Amino acid sequence: MALDVQTRQTDGGIIVLAATGRLDVAGAPALKDAVSEAAKNGSSRVVIDMEGISFVDSTGLGSVISALKQIRGSQGDLRLAAPNQQVRVVLELTTLDRVFPYYATVEEALTGF
Amino acid sequence: MGSKQPFEFRARFIELDEGLEVLHTSVERLRQAMGRTVDDRPLMLFETALGEIGSNVLTHGRPPGTEMPVDYVLRFEGGVVEASLTDSGAPVHEHLKREMPAHESERGRGLAMARSLLDELGYRRDGDVNRWRLVKRL
Repeated sequence: MALDVQTRQTDGGIIVLAATGRLDVAGAPALKDAVSEAAKNGSSRVVIDMEGISFVDSTGLGSVISALKQIRGSQGDLRLAAPNQQVRVVLELTTLDRVFPYYATVEEALTGF
Repeated sequence: MGSKQPFEFRARFIELDEGLEVLHTSVERLRQAMGRTVDDRPLMLFETALGEIGSNVLTHGRPPGTEMPVDYVLRFEGGVVEASLTDSGAPVHEHLKREMPAHESERGRGLAMARSLLDELGYRRDGDVNRWRLVKRL
């Protein structure tokens, strides 16, 4: 199952990347491409909507870390929204939940961003 | 099927996408057979570990330029799930004890994650093949 990533921009100029599928070794390149495209267009605030992500592996997680570095490198920031239980378990297991603030919904992630 | 009835799934695959799909499908079939939900934590942790070892095997488990298949078996019996994966890649002994890397690292978490999610992660070199064994009590 390939990862599908839809990009939209909010009225406040925040980019929301809505990903659907498995964010794994096969799906990670699609997220990297979407983040690179957003960064190239000068977007500094990015939310990854993870509601449609059914499963994440360490390579998928690596693509999120790569995204964070890329966006913070241009003085921006990244937030994760609506991760399912499996994604939360992986974030906690790797202690990356200390690095990535994650929010229950996209609306919560957009608030005050 | 109750959790005391045995379950077995066998497959052989070559391609990355195909292999990952088979691994997740096999766990979904076990989940259905056991009457457990997608949020069942022990099975979810096992599937996460299986995804890590499976993607390593599918990415590195064949000599360059060849199309050697990966053999996969998933079994459940007596409350214990066990997966075995056999590949023809190079030996991986030197990677087995790898610890969880620093937060900024984009790679190298897979084996450390699998070790901590399973009751047992076995590996042995058997002639020209790598044999992986993943065990978890559900």
